[in-house]
Amino acid sequence: MDTVSLTIDGRQITVEKGKTVLQAALENGIHVPYYCYHPGISIDGSCRVCIVKIEKMPKLQTSCSTVCAEGMVIETRTPEVVAARAGVFEFLLVNHPLDCPVCDKGGECPLQDFSYTFGPDQSRMEFPRRVFDGEGVKGDVDFGPTLMLNRQRCILCTRCVRFMRDIDGDAQINIIDRGYGSEIATFQEEGVHSLISGNLMDVCPVGAITTRDYRFKSRPWDNPIAADTICTQCSKGCNTTAWIKAKPEWAKGAQLIRFTPRFNHDVNGYWMCDIGRFEYHWIEGDNRLRQPLEREANLGQQPISWQELTSKLGDRLAAAGTSNPEGVRFLLSAHASHEELFLFRRLTEALLGEPNAVSVSWRYQTKSQPAGSKFIVPPVDAPNVNGARAMGLAPGKVGPVDNDAKADVSALRAAVDAGRVSALYVFDPGPEGSLGDVQWIVDARASGRLPLLIVQGVVLSALARAADFVLPGASYVEKEASYTNDQGTLQGATRVIAPPGEAMEDWQILVNLGVALGVPFTYTSAARVRADIAERYANEPGLAGIATLVFGRPVAARNWLQASNPSERWKWDFMFQDMPPVKGHVDPSAVPMPIGAIPLKEVK
Amino acid sequence: MSFEPLLTKHVREPNSFTLDFYLQHEGYDGLRKALAMKPEEVIDLVKASGLRGRGGAGFPTGMKWQFVDKKSPNPKYIACNADESEPGTFKDHLLMERNPHLLIEGCAIGCYAIGAKIAYIYIRGEFFHVQQVLERAIDEAYARGFLGKNVLGSGFDCDVYVHRGAGAYEAGEETALLESLEGKRAQPRNKPPFPAVVGLYGCPTAVNNVETLANVPIILMKGAEWYSKLGPEKNGGPKLFCISGHVKRPGVYEAPMTVTLGELINERAGGVRDGRTLKAVIPGGSSVPILLPTQLDTQASFDGVQKAGSLLGSAGIIVLDDTTCMVWLAENLLHFYRHESCGKCTPCREGTDWLYKILRKIERGAGQMSDLDLLTSVANNIAGKTLCAFGDAAVTPVLTTLKHFRHEYEAHIKEGHCTLPADWRARQGVATHP
Repeated sequence: MDTVSLTIDGRQITVEKGKTVLQAALENGIHVPYYCYHPGISIDGSCRVCIVKIEKMPKLQTSCSTVCAEGMVIETRTPEVVAARAGVFEFLLVNHPLDCPVCDKGGECPLQDFSYTFGPDQSRMEFPRRVFDGEGVKGDVDFGPTLMLNRQRCILCTRCVRFMRDIDGDAQINIIDRGYGSEIATFQEEGVHSLISGNLMDVCPVGAITTRDYRFKSRPWDNPIAADTICTQCSKGCNTTAWIKAKPEWAKGAQLIRFTPRFNHDVNGYWMCDIGRFEYHWIEGDNRLRQPLEREANLGQQPISWQELTSKLGDRLAAAGTSNPEGVRFLLSAHASHEELFLFRRLTEALLGEPNAVSVSWRYQTKSQPAGSKFIVPPVDAPNVNGARAMGLAPGKVGPVDNDAKADVSALRAAVDAGRVSALYVFDPGPEGSLGDVQWIVDARASGRLPLLIVQGVVLSALARAADFVLPGASYVEKEASYTNDQGTLQGATRVIAPPGEAMEDWQILVNLGVALGVPFTYTSAARVRADIAERYANEPGLAGIATLVFGRPVAARNWLQASNPSERWKWDFMFQDMPPVKGHVDPSAVPMPIGAIPLKEVK
Repeated sequence: MSFEPLLTKHVREPNSFTLDFYLQHEGYDGLRKALAMKPEEVIDLVKASGLRGRGGAGFPTGMKWQFVDKKSPNPKYIACNADESEPGTFKDHLLMERNPHLLIEGCAIGCYAIGAKIAYIYIRGEFFHVQQVLERAIDEAYARGFLGKNVLGSGFDCDVYVHRGAGAYEAGEETALLESLEGKRAQPRNKPPFPAVVGLYGCPTAVNNVETLANVPIILMKGAEWYSKLGPEKNGGPKLFCISGHVKRPGVYEAPMTVTLGELINERAGGVRDGRTLKAVIPGGSSVPILLPTQLDTQASFDGVQKAGSLLGSAGIIVLDDTTCMVWLAENLLHFYRHESCGKCTPCREGTDWLYKILRKIERGAGQMSDLDLLTSVANNIAGKTLCAFGDAAVTPVLTTLKHFRHEYEAHIKEGHCTLPADWRARQGVATHP
């Protein structure tokens, strides 16, 4: 690796060649503010807050657009730089509405944070602020099906413009008019129509772009728990963070409040798609399966206890398996994790002695995206096709999932349609529809060709309604489970919240069922299952390291705020908490600052 | 010394814009000479002549051409900056309208020198009629083999296109001009890389002013030594001066840069209007510092004006007599700069508007003394903090009027109105003493 050495604020720093001064400073813990710079998109150099003094250059330079050179001497804290930077911050705020108390970004807003740290303590502006679409709430205008736009708050950093141009590949956003009248706009106010539009909320450094899904639902300090996890809604496996809103136990509504992408250079970069971001409401929706159900003659599906269900189901399955092993079939969604696939495989082997009893299915739908898009959402709507391949449950070997990787369940369907299947066990832990077409099962059931249908899943779908036994399982944020994505990368999803009602983690359901069927399962946790997988599939590259896979944990408020935004947390602790003994009883300067926090300026 | 104009000698002839007329007056002989030389020799000749860019910065043209990355596998381009938008400047307009073939010849020689095959003339959006003249002239040149494939049998191909802008001052900044040529918003780019390395469509590009390119055929005809001797050291060649404002004969005047501002204003332009006295001179378009009547003996050269504390810029000499209210002048110019800021950089976008609002308040008599310090502070917060030179240009009218005419600002604030019998007020029916 070629490196260059330079001096920033008297510190000798060595960085990779080609890095900018801003990157060098940030990597070494030197605080330089920035707005138009975003590591995932091209450099613009327009916001001007990252200006620094570089020796031998007459003017102050923007550190984001200056590439490090050997021997450069840079100052970020000289009076000249501090004054110039404060001047730019004053300019940024002269037309900003400062409606932070009602702004969704308030509390996690780079404009707030950097202004507190680097800006002047008051504005000298005495003229009315610029208004685009109307004062107050009238300033919020439609910005496509997923977003809202408030042009008053915009500081014209053009990150959104460049995101659409560089990453989305369809430059739907640009600035219209110029100078003082510049405003973010789409063609004829059509708004943004993109499969990755939610990222615009992430890149916006102010509250100008907000998502319809999250806006007005929560404030950062209302989300005291966050968990790093992965998204399983397609085969990409984007790394995400799930945010949990704090609320009293008796309060109605969801806890899961939003998903945001988490940087992973090899998987999703800085981004995630709108499906993963916005389509999570089914997890805590009214349609969720909360207790085991059994169909009773004339009464329909009735709640039943797990114990009863396990023994009854065990008897029925054992009977069916003994009388006609060929007639017992399993249909698994590729939303099944390694643990679940493995347990099903063991179960069928013990019960029927043949692996052909299992079919794996998934939905395949191509997404409409611009030709030049840098973030492609794959057509396979399941996270673990490679896992099914590794266990020999789906054709092909572990490796990149082709774009035409369609599930083939024609043999099973032919058997069901011909009435050769006496018992069908469907495992569908994904959102409704992610298993692909299942209407043929419902039809077969209705016409009496399928005597026994068991559904283990998460949503009361048409399929679950047709079942004799319904086993409520856990969704991908309710269990620790591992998946191998379309690039063959093994990743783990975190247990962010508990399964609802009596629903159980799926590995537990399967172990219980196995025990009822007489299979000698001794697993006491999902980790034990993974250990066994590692043992039995030691040479399978898609499963390498499964025994030692590290899972995220929901992190408590104090930590995540410190982790994501140390300055904000420090302010919150010492300046805005209204309750004693914090306010007025603690001298902030006497308390050690968290690592990474930016010292606050004294406000006179 | 008697000086015969070189660029504008025939501009009053009715047919001066036609190819026939041009050919009768040694037209395209410079190109013929250039094609007989090697491209490097042409660059060396231009370097030896000391020709400095006429657009404003006065950067040596030969150097600029030498910096063009000739080893690049990409095509090279000449982008002729004809976006003449600086207030008080109208020399390129005259050249293109009355002597278009001189520019076309200059473009062709420039292309030959840097190894380009295409020159784009980026013309100001408002110059619709000038564009028609240029395009007619280009058609003539193609028809007679001065442009197109195999120019004059030399094997050199050269195409010239005219691209009309959409009407933005900022498009005159060289990188913003390239952006606009590419069909994007006219906003400046980060430098480096400079256009000589990464310019139009990412290819090496030389961006030259109209008057600069029009000087090139003259250098080839007259020789570098003759050219550099015309005028003071390092300020050689003929120069067009645009004199406007309160003079009897405003217009474009050609002179070597040995001439003084006083000679230009008092002799060529006939001096200020009868019964009036000179108050101030803006020597290089609206964005340069003001010079006072005591500085009229300043040599009107790049270095001379700089020594006097201002800049020759585009040589748009704006003459102001004693009826000019300097606060109004600053407000007027800031109205322009506020409107023309491209909006890319925060300080310029927000600051020009703020300055304008403060100036308007003072001009209307509602100002406070503290506003003067605020003006200075805001102006200094813009200057040097922006990507291109627009920020520095925009604050100059404020800082220079505050420096030389602070008493007028104070009078506005104390009296609550303008104290000058400004004739623009009389014309607009605005009472001087409300």
